[in-house]
Amino acid sequence: MNRDCTYHRPSTLAEAVDYLATKGGETTIIAGGTDVMVDLRAGKLERRNLLDVSRLDELRGIRLEGEKLVVGAAVTLAEIHRSPLLANHAPALQKCARNFASAQIRNKATIGGNVGHCSPCGDTIPPLVIHQAEMVCTGSSGQRRLPITEVATGAYRCQIARDEIITAFVLEPVGADFADFQKIGRRQALAISRMSMAAMLNQDQEGRITMLRLALGACTPTPCRLRLVEEFLLGKKPQPALLMQAGELLAEQMIAITGRRSSIIYKEPAVQGLFRRILSPVACHD
Amino acid sequence: MQTVHIEFMVNGKEVALDVPAGATALQVIREMLGLKGSKEGCGIGECGACTVVVDGKAVNACLLLAAQLDGCRLLTVEGLADPAGLHPLQEKMIEHHAVQCGFCTPGVLMSSYALFAEKANPKREEIVAAVAGNLCRCTGYQQIITAIEAAVPGENR
Ligand SMILES: Cc1cc2nc3c(=O)[nH]c(=O)nc-3n(C[C@H](O)[C@H](O)[C@H](O)COP(=O)(O)OP(=O)(O)OC[C@H]3O[C@@H](n4cnc5c(N)ncnc54)[C@H](O)[C@@H]3O)c2cc1C
Ligand code: FES
Ligand code: FES
Repeated sequence: MNRDCTYHRPSTLAEAVDYLATKGGETTIIAGGTDVMVDLRAGKLERRNLLDVSRLDELRGIRLEGEKLVVGAAVTLAEIHRSPLLANHAPALQKCARNFASAQIRNKATIGGNVGHCSPCGDTIPPLVIHQAEMVCTGSSGQRRLPITEVATGAYRCQIARDEIITAFVLEPVGADFADFQKIGRRQALAISRMSMAAMLNQDQEGRITMLRLALGACTPTPCRLRLVEEFLLGKKPQPALLMQAGELLAEQMIAITGRRSSIIYKEPAVQGLFRRILSPVACHD
Repeated sequence: MQTVHIEFMVNGKEVALDVPAGATALQVIREMLGLKGSKEGCGIGECGACTVVVDGKAVNACLLLAAQLDGCRLLTVEGLADPAGLHPLQEKMIEHHAVQCGFCTPGVLMSSYALFAEKANPKREEIVAAVAGNLCRCTGYQQIITAIEAAVPGENR
């Protein structure tokens, strides 16, 4: 049993911020605990004051606010999966919850923890990227917003300060004819082979692509939108030969970011396969 | 060592405990409450042997901080049967030979119980999804799924 831990559960966000202002340096925020508890057990948790934010009202709820879609940081993956609001306005995010871990983990794991863990393979990240999401955090010096693509500065390193709490994610709601999230590779074993992708697309009556957003997760140290591929496909019919070409372009873009590492022998065909799989339901065969 | 005072319901009874701040719910359930039905397989959320139901939802007790049980309703496998007899899920597990060593059984039961609480008439694929986080290394999943299916409340009546 970990004997040197402390536990604190503030009842308001203000109280939590106050706590972090003095103890932030020795504190680990805990929400669902599905990452923190694994680290605690492995003896890898350095900051052992546990600050439980899972019940803060300020971090809960999924709602439309004006033109934006707001998802509280303590919203669980199970809640994301069940949300009709997300199914309509952020369908790829809703779908990423379907194959996230197990039912037991989905009941606890939060979106804030998924981003806060700063693992390059967080499943919620590619969907957040295609919705141009911003992360909202609150700390002693007030509130700030950061684009989701700038949260991670590298694998397991991130921009959230020790005295800050993620409160919510603000998404651009987009209803799409087609949206999906797909991943390959196992979680811990062979972490290097993990790869994920979120896509969202509209087509006109002839099948030409009128809107496309694509983001790649896990392959690159920080998440990225695949704008070159999006531009390449825009206005065209996604016929199988064209999708092959787009897949090659995608792999080139990935290599441009990561450099040619040894894992590329696996990753290059894998990412192309993943790309063709995710778009296969919308491919035109005429 | 800091202790945290928590009050919660265990299988319908109120309890108050002082738990170590860093203890898992599984440690408290097994060692302080003496309820040994919940098992520790992996301790890291991958096997489901520790599955319990907290406020109606299946969770891994090994990944839950005991302090987080405060104010919650906890149901463990010991709370499934009532004086009248075993829970239908338990009956069907026996009937359909879904238990060999039994290590995974409490977790499977609790995952299924939570599914039934959420959905009166789950389809087979929903059952499969609900127990996907429960690993069984001896029986094989067909008997387990069949047993759960046979216990679906709608099917019994
Ligand atoms: C068996 C298993 C399977 C898994 N499968 C998947 C999977 O398929 N896909 C996937 O993406 N992940 C997976 N995970 C990882 C994990 O479940 C997710 O990353 C989850 O979203 C973390 O959320 P949490 O609330 O449990 O985080 P916690 O463990 O509570 O916290 C994680 C990190 O985020 C920080 N944090 C949490 N909330 C906040 C906040 N509000 N503000 C600032 N920092 C915060 C914590 O300090 C910590 O560093 C799996 C984990 C396990 C154990
Ligand atoms: S012991 Fe908790 S999931 Fe394995
Ligand atoms: S019966 Fe032995 S692990 Fe399932």
